[in-house]
Amino acid sequence: MRAAVLALSLLAGTAQAAWQWSEPLTVNSVRGAKIYPHVESANRANVAVSGTTVGVVWEDNRSGSPQCYLAMKPATATGFQPEIQLGQAECYEPAVVALEGGRFVAAWEEAGKVHARLLPGGTALTLSTAEAGQATLAVKGDTLYAAWAEQAGRFRRIVVARLDVTTGALRAEPAQPVEAALPTDDQAWPALAVAGDGSVTVAWEDRRDRHTVPMTSHSGDNLKFSAPARLSDVPKGAGLGQSMGLGAGMGAMRPTLAAWGAQGVVAVWLDKRDFLSGYDVYAAFDPGTRRFGPNIRVQDDFGDNIAQWHAKVVGNADGRLLALWDDTRDGTPDVWLADWNGTAFGENVAVPGAAGPGAQSDPSAALDAAGGLHAIWLEQDEQAGARVRYAHATWQ
Amino acid sequence: MSLIRIILTACCLWATAVLADPPPGYPFVNFDAGLKAARASGKPIFLYFGRYGCAWCEHTNKTTFSDPALKKLYSDNYELVYVDAESGKRLTLPSGERLTEAELGARLQAFATPLFVYLTPQGDKIVQIPGFKTVQDFRDYDRYVRGGYYKQKTLLQFLDGKS
Repeated sequence: MRAAVLALSLLAGTAQAAWQWSEPLTVNSVRGAKIYPHVESANRANVAVSGTTVGVVWEDNRSGSPQCYLAMKPATATGFQPEIQLGQAECYEPAVVALEGGRFVAAWEEAGKVHARLLPGGTALTLSTAEAGQATLAVKGDTLYAAWAEQAGRFRRIVVARLDVTTGALRAEPAQPVEAALPTDDQAWPALAVAGDGSVTVAWEDRRDRHTVPMTSHSGDNLKFSAPARLSDVPKGAGLGQSMGLGAGMGAMRPTLAAWGAQGVVAVWLDKRDFLSGYDVYAAFDPGTRRFGPNIRVQDDFGDNIAQWHAKVVGNADGRLLALWDDTRDGTPDVWLADWNGTAFGENVAVPGAAGPGAQSDPSAALDAAGGLHAIWLEQDEQAGARVRYAHATWQ
Repeated sequence: MSLIRIILTACCLWATAVLADPPPGYPFVNFDAGLKAARASGKPIFLYFGRYGCAWCEHTNKTTFSDPALKKLYSDNYELVYVDAESGKRLTLPSGERLTEAELGARLQAFATPLFVYLTPQGDKIVQIPGFKTVQDFRDYDRYVRGGYYKQKTLLQFLDGKS
């Protein structure tokens, strides 16, 4: 009897537990009506946590041209330190991962090439040999990888390189293409995850089938990749377009990946299989077999008839898993969150401070070692200028 | 001769790669080129927001934009801009903000493709219309835009009152 009561109270406690959020902080120190910050990167990797230090990267045009910045905040600080400019020339789509000891590695596109830098300090290293962009990073312990889309013939293809920081400086091994053959159409927006067993999973947008399909491949730590596999389910029966003999297929874009649990990897992306309601958020799980299972819709029924944007998956080895995105179900863009409850993504919850009047969008997030959630987003203000906002949450 | 044919074929293939699925034969250009041309010519902008592999875009291209008179009407009187709903290519808004073509879809809250957006020569939005449309629809929208009716009426009010 006592055991049953205990079990019930635990269940009740679980049911009542929720993210408890801090008051939002502003990350960018320079604002203006004509300054446009962007929180955009491959895998939406714009925030990372090293120990108790948070690092946030974004791009804005305060200097007159797009530049990328990193701002850091130690846990004990009341605000973010003045930001560090990452590159020298026009810069786009910066991504960041955390190393130990308050260190970060950022990667970005600058002057048509992909660069990376160990921070704080460190000098920029050019990673790509050809024209390239849409860089992302993934790390497990000291093992660090970068992926980007690089020109190969007429189109871009996805390449992955192992990076090394053991000497205190950033070094890169030669990049390996996911596929040796030249691409037959564009590949873009790679996402990376290093699973608990050290294997590397990459997902990307692929147009070889004459429409955009999220594809995945995986490798051991030798970067010998498996044949690409489609991430999104093949529609059952003939779709409307196919029945009319029109269109190559449905749309999908911006896959994101997160290592999850002991050996798993989870993918979340924007999917237009329901073509009248904009992009929906879909997920697929690889439990460690290096094969993704059936697709699962992430947003709940209240968000079903409107478009979702900027989806991001976040997970950790302890089994915490959630997805964030923005949509306008309450009239204006708000940031929404859904936790994985073991069998499905739960009810959608608006992120306090990232919801309500005005426009709050473009979320990115990361979990720290203690399971705390660190989220950033854009808050629009046409008069004062947009802000990059940050808040921390604990599960209680 | 065969060399010219090879070069022309290569150019066509390259154009296909740059602009995913606009209707063939129309002088569609990217957003920045279209905005620059509109500011110079004073013509309004007709922005076709399409998606690579989109069935209804192809249906509209084959059924509606194949009409020669419509092609002449729009080619002569608009700066034609094609935006790829899922592309990472960058464009510059009239405000000076740089963003990707896909991000423009988020700003427009585009929920379906094709989406047709009419803009002033300065790049201000006049009206946006989603989904498959007929030749007559596009003729009506043209009268609404170039006739200046949008300054006094919504599109629905204009269409209700048209003879």
